[in-house]
Amino acid sequence: MNESDSRAGELARLFEESLSRYQAALAEATSESALRVVHARYAGKEGEIRKRLADALKAAPGPDKRAVGQAGNTALQKAEELFGSRLVDLHEQKRQADLQRRLDVTIPGRPHRLGGLHLLTQVRLELEGIFAELGFQVATGPQVETDFHNFEALAMPKDHPARDMQDTFYLRSHDPSHDPLVLRTHTSPVQIRTMLQQKPPVRIISPGKVYRKDDDPTHSPMFQQIEGLCVDEGVTMADLKGTLLYFVQRFFGPGIGLRLRPSFFPFTEPSAEVDIECFFCKRSGCRTCKGSGYIEILGCGMVDPEVFRHVGYDSEKYSGFAFGTGLERMTMLRYGISDLRLFFAGDARFTEQFR
Amino acid sequence: MKVSWNWLCELLDLPAGISPQAVAERLSVSGVAVDAIHPIGKGLSGAIVVEVRGKRPHPKADKLTLVDVFDGKEVTQVVCGAPNVPSPGEPLSSPRLVWARPGATLPSGMTLSVREVRGVPSPGMLCAEDELGLSEDHGGILILAPEDGIAIGADFAQAAGLPDFVFELDITPNRPDLLGHIGVAREIAALFRHEGVRLKPTSTDPRTVLGWFADPVHCRDCDSPEHFEKAPRIVVEDPEGCPRYFAHRLTGVRVHKSPLFYRLRLQRLGVRALSNVVDATNLALLQFGHPLHAFDLGKLAGQQLMIRRAKAGEKLKTLDGQDRELLPEDLLIADVEQGVAVAGVMGGQTSEVGETTTDVLLECAYFSPARVRRTSKRLKLHTEASHRFERGTDPSALPEVADACAELIVKLSGGRLAAPPTDVYRHKIPTQKLTLRPERTTAILGLAIPTATQKDCLEALGLGVTFDGQLLHVEVPTRRPDLSREIDLIEEVARIYGLAHLPMTLPRLAMAEPPPPTKGMTIYRNADRARLLCASLGLSEVLLFSMTSPERVRLGEGKQATRPHLLDNPLREELSVLRTRLLPGLVELLRQNLAHGQTDIRLFEVGEVFLPSSPGELLPTERTHVAAVLYGHRDHFLKPTASDALDFFDVKGLCEQLLDGLGLKLCLQPSSEAGPRAVFIRVATENEAPMLHPGAAAAVVAAQSGELLGVFGELHPDQQKSHDLPNPAFALELVVPALPIEKQPYVAPSRFPGASRDLSFFVDDKVEAARLMDTLWHAGEPLLRGVSLLEDYRQPGHVPTGQKGLLFSLTYRSDERTLTDEEVHKAHQRVISHLGAKFSLQLRQ
Repeated sequence: MNESDSRAGELARLFEESLSRYQAALAEATSESALRVVHARYAGKEGEIRKRLADALKAAPGPDKRAVGQAGNTALQKAEELFGSRLVDLHEQKRQADLQRRLDVTIPGRPHRLGGLHLLTQVRLELEGIFAELGFQVATGPQVETDFHNFEALAMPKDHPARDMQDTFYLRSHDPSHDPLVLRTHTSPVQIRTMLQQKPPVRIISPGKVYRKDDDPTHSPMFQQIEGLCVDEGVTMADLKGTLLYFVQRFFGPGIGLRLRPSFFPFTEPSAEVDIECFFCKRSGCRTCKGSGYIEILGCGMVDPEVFRHVGYDSEKYSGFAFGTGLERMTMLRYGISDLRLFFAGDARFTEQFR
Repeated sequence: MKVSWNWLCELLDLPAGISPQAVAERLSVSGVAVDAIHPIGKGLSGAIVVEVRGKRPHPKADKLTLVDVFDGKEVTQVVCGAPNVPSPGEPLSSPRLVWARPGATLPSGMTLSVREVRGVPSPGMLCAEDELGLSEDHGGILILAPEDGIAIGADFAQAAGLPDFVFELDITPNRPDLLGHIGVAREIAALFRHEGVRLKPTSTDPRTVLGWFADPVHCRDCDSPEHFEKAPRIVVEDPEGCPRYFAHRLTGVRVHKSPLFYRLRLQRLGVRALSNVVDATNLALLQFGHPLHAFDLGKLAGQQLMIRRAKAGEKLKTLDGQDRELLPEDLLIADVEQGVAVAGVMGGQTSEVGETTTDVLLECAYFSPARVRRTSKRLKLHTEASHRFERGTDPSALPEVADACAELIVKLSGGRLAAPPTDVYRHKIPTQKLTLRPERTTAILGLAIPTATQKDCLEALGLGVTFDGQLLHVEVPTRRPDLSREIDLIEEVARIYGLAHLPMTLPRLAMAEPPPPTKGMTIYRNADRARLLCASLGLSEVLLFSMTSPERVRLGEGKQATRPHLLDNPLREELSVLRTRLLPGLVELLRQNLAHGQTDIRLFEVGEVFLPSSPGELLPTERTHVAAVLYGHRDHFLKPTASDALDFFDVKGLCEQLLDGLGLKLCLQPSSEAGPRAVFIRVATENEAPMLHPGAAAAVVAAQSGELLGVFGELHPDQQKSHDLPNPAFALELVVPALPIEKQPYVAPSRFPGASRDLSFFVDDKVEAARLMDTLWHAGEPLLRGVSLLEDYRQPGHVPTGQKGLLFSLTYRSDERTLTDEEVHKAHQRVISHLGAKFSLQLRQ
C-alpha cells in the first residue's frame, strides 16, 4: 500500500465520519431552521466537510489534488442529498401532523355583525325604483311648510271643511302677519314647489315625512308618504289607472287587480280611492280586507284646474294626475305588521329582523 | 253619517230584490263609502206589546217577579228577572211591555218556549232593549207608555219599524247634499236608474199632504203691515252671514215624549230623543240634511228675532250649559234683549223648548258656510248643525224643509200653524248654469263616453241638461254647491258612468331634459348614501319623530341658546318642539334597548333637524344629519373579553369611514387653500359637544371655512349615568354634506415596489399625532408616499416623564424606477431632519 493510497483512505474515513455525525445531527433536528443550522455546520461554506476538504487539499501533493477534490465533492453531494431528503421528511411529518388537527366545526362562528336599513327605508327605495321604471324622478321639499303651499295652493282655502280631513300641527309664530307655518300634512307641497319651478312635462314622486295630529295603533303623528305627479299634454285618468296597476303588480305581486272608487280630495278632480284585490284571501274575505275582498291603498285623481291656476299652468293645454299613499301602510300590508308605532320605537329587535 | 234603510225605502220606489247589501256596494264604488251595515232587530218575530195587569214576588227567589200580562185576549203569568217591572195602573192605561211568547224568535237566534224558572213555569219572556236588538242596553225591560200609540197585542217589530239596517256612510266634505236621507235616496235612484228605482214624488213635497198649505202664503216682505202682527217677526241685520231666514210660528203645542217609533228611529241613527218638538226638528234634519231650530216663542223677549253680528264679549249660555263668549265675526240670533242662539252652531238655554212651551218659532235658515265654520272652530263646538252649514246647505229648500218639520210638529204635538211663515230672502241665490264640452270628458278620462250617455248621467242626478249640438248646458240646483265648473260635471259623469269602465294605459313619455341637480336632491342622495354606509359598517337604522321634548333639546344643546321651533298645538309635552339634533333621541334608545335585554347596540339615524331660520327666511333651516350610537363590544368570539370593549377609536374609525364615503377629504390641519371637501378633526369644545366627555370629544371641521360639521366621542359620564348605562357609550353626529360626491379619476397602481422605513422617537405628549403627521407630509419629500402610525406608547418607566413614544412607518416609492437602498435612506433622512427641525424629538434606535 503506497502513501498516496493510505492518505486517500484516511481522507475517505474522515469524510465518512463527518457524514455519519452529520446524518445523526440531521435526524435530531426537528424543524427546518434547526436542519439548516446543522446543514451549515457540516456542509456550509464554513462547515466541517469543506474545512476538512480544504485541509486535505492543502496537504495533498500536486498529483493527488484531483482525487482529493473528487472525494470531497462526492461527500458534499451526499451531504446535500441527506439534507434534501431529511427536509422532505420533515415537511411531510409536519403536513401529516397538521392533517391530524380536528376542529369542532359546530362551535358558533365569530360574528361579523350586519347592519341594516330600516324597513321603511328599504320599502321607500324599492318604490323609488319601481316608479323610476315609469320615468318618475324623486323630488323633495321642506317638512315645515307655509299654509299657502300646504293648503291654499292645493285648493284648500282657509275655512274650507276639507281641512278637517287633515289634523294639522302649527308652529308657534313669532310674527302673526306672516303666513302660518305648519308641519306639512302631505308631501303635496313638493308638487306645488316643483310646478312653480318647472314647466311640463313633470313626472315626479315625492317621498317624505308628513305630520298629522293623530296617535293610535293605526295613526302616528309622523309618518311617511310617497306621492306621484304626472303633468303633460294629453295625460288622462286612464293613464293614472294604468300607472297604478303597474305599481300595484310590481309591489304586491303579479295578477293583483285594482278598482277605483270615486272620492274627494280638494286638489284633484275627478278623485278616487284605490282598492287592490286582497292578496291574503284572494277576494274570498278575511280580516285584513274586513270581508270586502278589497284593501284600500291610496288616493288619487286628476289634478284640479284650481291647482294649475296657482302654479301658472294652462289647464286647457295640460292635464295631469296625482296619487299618494302611506309608506307605512304599504309596508304593514306587505309584512303583516299590525302596530304602526313599532316603526318609530327604535327597538333593535324589530329593526334587526329586516336585513 | 248613519242612515236607515227603512227610511230610504219610504222615500224610494224600490223594486223587490234590491237588497241593502247591493245598494251599499253600489254606493261604495260610486263615491259614497259605506263603512258598515248594522242589522237592527233582525230575526225578531212573535214579540207582542202587552199591558201589565199585576205583579208579585216569586215565591222562591228575591230577584224574580211574577208578572201578569194582557195581550188583548187573555192574561198570562210570566217570570221576569228585571229590576224595573212597573206596577199596573187602570186597564188600558197601564204601562206596556214587550212579551216574546213561546215560539217567538229574538235577533240572537233564540226561540222561546215554556220554561220553568225556580219552580214556576214561564211562557216566554219580557224583553229588554238588547234582547230586541235595539241597543246594548240590558238595564231593565223595555217599558212603553199608552201614548206611544201601540195597541195592546200589536206585533212589536212592525210597530217599532223593525227589522231595519243602519248604514254608516263616510260622506266626503264636498257633498253636503248627502247629509240627509233625501240626498242619499236621490243618489241611490241615480245609481239604480236602469233598475227602475225612482224617488217618490211625494217625498219632496210635504205640502201635498198638509192641507193647511193649500194656498201657501209666504211673507216676502216682513215689513208689510197686514202680516206683521201674526207672522214671526224676523230682522236680518247681517245678510252676508244669513242670506235667507225662514220661520214658522206654531201655537197650541203640547210638549211630551215622541211615540216609540220616532224615538227608536232617532236612537238607531245616533240621536237622543228629547221631546216631540225637538225630535221633529231632528227628524227633519235627518230627512233633508238641513238643520232647524225650535225656539220657545214665549221666552223670546219682544217675540221677535234679530240676526246680527255679536258684540265683542257678548255672552250666551248654549244648550250644553256652557257660557260662550262671542266676537263680532260670530253670527248671533237675538231677541230684543239678548242672544238666544249661536247661528248655525247651537241654540241658547234661555229660549229652549220645554214642557211649558205652547208657542214655537221654528227656524229654518241658510247661514254663510265660512262664518259658521269660523265660529264653530273657535268655540271648538262641532254640532250636527254646524257640520252641515259649514259644508253648505240648500238655500232653496228652506220652505219645503220648514213645512215638513212644521207638519211633523203638528202631528206629534197637537198644535197648529198660527200664521203664514216669514221668509227673509233679499238676494236670491241663483242656480248655476254650466256648460260641458263632451269631448273634454274624453280628454280628461281617456275614455270616449257618448254625449247622450253623459247627458243621461247628469240628468240622473236631477240636473237640468240640454244639448245644443255642441255643448251640454247644465243647470245645477242649489243643493249641489260642489258643482260649479266643467271639471265638476266631468267628475259626475265619471262617477255615475263608473270608473270601472276606464281603460288602463301608460302616459306617453315626452322628451325632456333631465332636471338640473338641486341642493335638496344632492342632500337626499347623500343621506341615502350615509344610510348605506352605516348599514355596511354594521349599524342598524332607526327612525324617530321630528318632534321631541324641550328637555331633550336642552340635553343636546347644552348651554347654547338655540331656540327650537315650538308647536302651537302639540299632542303632548314630549312632542312639543322640533328637534335640533339627533343624538338625544338615539341615546335615549340605548337606555330602552338595554332595558329590552340587548347588550351590544349599534344604531344610526339619518334625518332632519330644524334650526332657526336664516335671516329673511320664513321657513326654519332644515338640515339632514347622520348620527350613531355604539354601546358594548366589538364583534367577538363567544364571550367578550376586556379588550373587546368599544372605545373612542371605534367611533372615530366609523366617523372616518363615513367622511370618506360621503366624499369628504380628511386632512390634518385647517387651510384656506383646501377645497370645500377638506375636513379635519380636532378636540371639540364643551359647547360644541355638550353630550360628550370633555376629554374624549372630537369635532369635524371644514378645513376651508372652519364650519363645524359634526362631533363624535365618548358619551359624557353624566349622560351615561342619567340614561342608566352601566358602561361608556360612544356617539357621532354629522351634517350630511350638500356637495355631490365627486367622481375620482382612476389612478393606475405603481409598477415599482415601495420601501418602508421605521421612524421611532419620544416627543412631548402634548404634541398631537395629527401635527406630526401633517409635518411629515409637508416635508416636501417627493418620494414619500405613505405615513402610518404604528404605535403610541406611554407606559411610565418605559417612556420619559411628560413624553410619549411614537413609531411611524414611512413608505417611499418612485413611479419611474425601483429605488435603491441609498435613495430610500437619503429620503428618509431628509424627512427626519425636517421633522426634527419642527419638534424636539428624541430619536430611538
